[in-house]
Amino acid sequence: MNAIVQTACKFVTSSIGRKIIVAVTGACLLAFLVGHLIGNLTVYGGREWINNYAFGLHAMPSWVLWSIRLGLLAVALIHVIYTLALQYENRNARRQYEYRNTIQATLSSRTMLVSGCMILCFVLFHLFQFPAQVETLDGRPDCYALIAGAFANPFCSAFYIIAIFCLGCHVCHGVESVMQTAGLSTKKIRPLYKIASWCYAVIVCGAFISIPVSVLLGIISNN
Amino acid sequence: MAKTLNLTLKVWRQESAEAQGRMETYAAKDIPEDASFLEMLDIVNEGLVSEGKEPIAFDHDCREGICGMCSLTINGIPHGPEKKVTTCQLHMRKFKDGDTIWIEPFRAKAFPILRDLMVDRSALDKIIAAGGYISVRTGSAPNANNIPIRKSTSDAAFDAAACIGCGACVASCKNASAMLFTSAKAAHLNLLPQGKPEKNRRVLAMVRQMDALGFGNCTNQYECEAACPKGISVDNIAKLNRDYMAACAAEAVGVY
Amino acid sequence: MIDFPTSDAMPSACIPEGPIEQKWTKYKRDAKLINPNNRRKYTVIIVGSGLAGGSAAATLAEQGYNVKCFCYQDSPRRAHSIAAQGGINATKNYQNDGDSVYRLFYDTVKGGDFRAREANVYRLAEVSANIIDQCVAQGVPFGREYGGLLDNRSFGGAQLKRTFYSRGQTGQQLLLGAYQAMEKEIAQGHIEMFTRHEMMDLVVVDGHAKGIVTRNLVTGEIKSHAGDTVLLCTGGYGNVFFLSTNAMGCNVTAAYKAYKRGAYFANPCFTQIHPTCIPVKGDYQSKLTLMSESLRNSGRIWVPKSREVAEKIRSRQIRPSDVPDEERDYYLERKYPSFGNLAPRDISSRAAKEACDDGRGVAVTGKGVFLDFSDEIRRMGREWIDGQYGNLFDMYEEITDDDPHETPMMIYPASHYTMGGLWVDYNLMSSIPGLHVLGEANFSDHGANRLGASALMQGLSDGYFVIPATLPTYLTSVKPGAVTTAAPEFKAAEDAVKERIQKLFEVKGTKTVDSIHRELGHVMWENCGMARTEESLEAAIKRIPEIREDFWKNVRVTGSADGINPELEKACRVADFLEFAQLLCYDALAREESCGAHFRLEYQMPDGEAKRNDEKFAYVAAWEFTGVDSLPILHKEPLTFDNVHLAIRNYK
Repeated sequence: MNAIVQTACKFVTSSIGRKIIVAVTGACLLAFLVGHLIGNLTVYGGREWINNYAFGLHAMPSWVLWSIRLGLLAVALIHVIYTLALQYENRNARRQYEYRNTIQATLSSRTMLVSGCMILCFVLFHLFQFPAQVETLDGRPDCYALIAGAFANPFCSAFYIIAIFCLGCHVCHGVESVMQTAGLSTKKIRPLYKIASWCYAVIVCGAFISIPVSVLLGIISNN
Repeated sequence: MAKTLNLTLKVWRQESAEAQGRMETYAAKDIPEDASFLEMLDIVNEGLVSEGKEPIAFDHDCREGICGMCSLTINGIPHGPEKKVTTCQLHMRKFKDGDTIWIEPFRAKAFPILRDLMVDRSALDKIIAAGGYISVRTGSAPNANNIPIRKSTSDAAFDAAACIGCGACVASCKNASAMLFTSAKAAHLNLLPQGKPEKNRRVLAMVRQMDALGFGNCTNQYECEAACPKGISVDNIAKLNRDYMAACAAEAVGVY
Repeated sequence: MIDFPTSDAMPSACIPEGPIEQKWTKYKRDAKLINPNNRRKYTVIIVGSGLAGGSAAATLAEQGYNVKCFCYQDSPRRAHSIAAQGGINATKNYQNDGDSVYRLFYDTVKGGDFRAREANVYRLAEVSANIIDQCVAQGVPFGREYGGLLDNRSFGGAQLKRTFYSRGQTGQQLLLGAYQAMEKEIAQGHIEMFTRHEMMDLVVVDGHAKGIVTRNLVTGEIKSHAGDTVLLCTGGYGNVFFLSTNAMGCNVTAAYKAYKRGAYFANPCFTQIHPTCIPVKGDYQSKLTLMSESLRNSGRIWVPKSREVAEKIRSRQIRPSDVPDEERDYYLERKYPSFGNLAPRDISSRAAKEACDDGRGVAVTGKGVFLDFSDEIRRMGREWIDGQYGNLFDMYEEITDDDPHETPMMIYPASHYTMGGLWVDYNLMSSIPGLHVLGEANFSDHGANRLGASALMQGLSDGYFVIPATLPTYLTSVKPGAVTTAAPEFKAAEDAVKERIQKLFEVKGTKTVDSIHRELGHVMWENCGMARTEESLEAAIKRIPEIREDFWKNVRVTGSADGINPELEKACRVADFLEFAQLLCYDALAREESCGAHFRLEYQMPDGEAKRNDEKFAYVAAWEFTGVDSLPILHKEPLTFDNVHLAIRNYK
């Protein structure tokens, strides 16, 4: 038992171990995003659909709901904290060049910290904004009204779109990076991962962004 | 007579490890196009010495791209703009007349600067000392053909073993990570049947040593692969990640 | 002609009695042993970390000796053994093409033009197979066949396939094997490694080599290190020609200091010129790059038949491909029909020089011949060629900006390897007791000319297998740790080193070290290069002291002795080359015959072949130092050939 604990401690403090943890938590968040998106897309089914979906979520036994919430929080926190710790070490390991240059690192990979911070800000805002402003309809929260109302504000939509754009940028490198860190990447598969990363970024983020765009275009509205 | 170039050099000068460094500007005049980058520096140095000034110190030895001793970062890129060549094999015809060239040492916390463009890369030796070998007492080896090795395996091991230990991977990485170097040596030995018995021990020891030496962590940008004069593949890094997980699992249950 | 003082006194070569096949076995059977627990009491100082030094350090440390290893590079992995491209010979006979220990022995003795010691060469051939076993076990990725077994190639004029290789990086892979083994021992504390340290002098106490004085190239500190024996594994002195295929740092200092302390220097005039190097481009050139000899398997060497056509090629009026076949002189194929383009190194080199001296050279400087792949590309296809030589073609294009697919390569001979070195006996011990010399730094195995793929073999054989067996012979005769750096000899040597460095700074002249080295190199190459005459050698012998004087009057060494100072490092090395060059010329002058790489124009067959004089010169010339400005004493170790027939080399 002792050996297992010892190894585990070494693993979670080692460079590769921590990267694997970041990768695994990142992968969990990627999966969550898909779930979240499917839920959000019910908005296109009309007021009934999304409100039913929201009600259904809340109707889950509270321990299940809270387990999911706390689990997600833990995953996100681990992802952020470990990333920041690694980032801090990386900064210390580096000595800056007077003439800075890169050979082939993608924009997405070079802006992971910025895009990540942006996403974090957005998530915090998102968590406070939506639950706080819920109106009710027939005694049930009216999510549809909330979405249509919030995104009718162009500033709110713009912030959302920018944040999702950052998310797209983040996952573009993220998906491929998860595979490499998990040791599942080779020269031959890498282009496939690259395509998958782009597909994920474009489809998921495009779908998220489509909602405020639809509101602004009047496809979804409170009227 | 071959064409010549006139260049402006911005060179990092630093008297000693402790001294404060700075960029200084030099004119490199009438540099033959066919000269190598280091021969260009030789010409500049001859000029400096005849003026009684201290020449620019830089590491170099074989000048045929194999010893791994030369180590300049040229315009922000270790070993300069050409792919898959070391600084000593970079030739001046790749530059244009009138160019300004920035020459800096390989920069990383784990590679302290000794003087001007010379750095201390002994950290890489320490990673090898931790486990980058196969323990075989001289004279105890079996007949070389006793263990057939699949050609593709042998070729893959060679591809990883082609690393010349120059440290360009570390110098090019924005995190100063030594993952490409470490993973290449680990992959070379782990792939071969002779290296299998020590595989888990090797991986754990090398990774732990790498961490202890103050290198950064890999963030999968693959600058290292692009900067590597021998084109060592980042596939080795994926393999090291894999091997490390397996080794940790083996260590945890005590069968490594 | 100079009348050199000679002496009959010669230390015994210590060759074991008995038939040649049993000498090594018998030696090992009778050799003294040191108890494993006692080995750690002995300190072994090893200078150099190439194939010989690295393998010796790893093996001796593994056996339990206390090893201190020194190298001037920043890591032991960078020693110049790393640059060997082609391969390593071994008598495995995996190809079933008739190889045997005797045949490798015979080829080596014959290739060395009968100027090597039979017993040493036989031992080399004997242990060659063990080297391959050892290296494969260490993880050296040799080329393999699809069945998973090791592949071989034919190399450097051998009539069979006995060369093991790792693409074009055999030297690097073998060195990494030794380096890794060394690092393992460093981690365990059995080897204390001193990188960026240069040996400045050998310390001899009571007639025995007991230590060295080093300069720390980072701090400038001059320090003594004492041990029970010293192993010099410091490589060759090819840089005496300034331009060579050696690394920039390769130097003769360690060996020369040992010579000055009383070790005999043997056959310094046996310097090998490699036929396939990229020609010189201009004065700024710092080194010459070797193109692997394996290219001669596919390329055809030629120059135009007429000087006019050559001139047109030089001035770029016509392209090489414009020259029709009947106007080309494939001179190697013409002169040596059976070996053709694969003729041994010295023969190919000299033939290239002859063609260029005849005004038919094709490089801008007039010193270059074509190595043409167009026939092979037509026959085998471009893909096949790239599979065989892709990296070499890329390297050539990188350096010259010419694509060898389109236009023939240009090559010219360059100084490459030095067969001469410190004299050693069968134990690899020099004439100073306790001073052992391994690898290229000794003279022992290659005679007057080295065969391709034999240098790596010799370095590893000396380090992995020979010295571990022969070292106890000396060590058991001394009390471990008897001499420490407290001995006055160390202080005296340190002071002398400091004084010499001080003297260099005090010159405060106007010439750079490189400019003087270049001048020396030019004199050596022109007068003592591929072809030598009494006249040219005497001219060099007259000229070298003048350059030396110029150096000590006009050199400018900038900076200070404390800390990193590459100019000072170069100056110290060149100062020794300036003395050593004279010894090289003396030896070339005294050897009035042509043999192997040593070619005296006065001594040749009517057809231009080397004319050996076995009656008078079948000996090892071992030189004893008497002073920088006085003539060295020539000691002769007669060579007897009981197992091979002294024949004229014939590669026709």
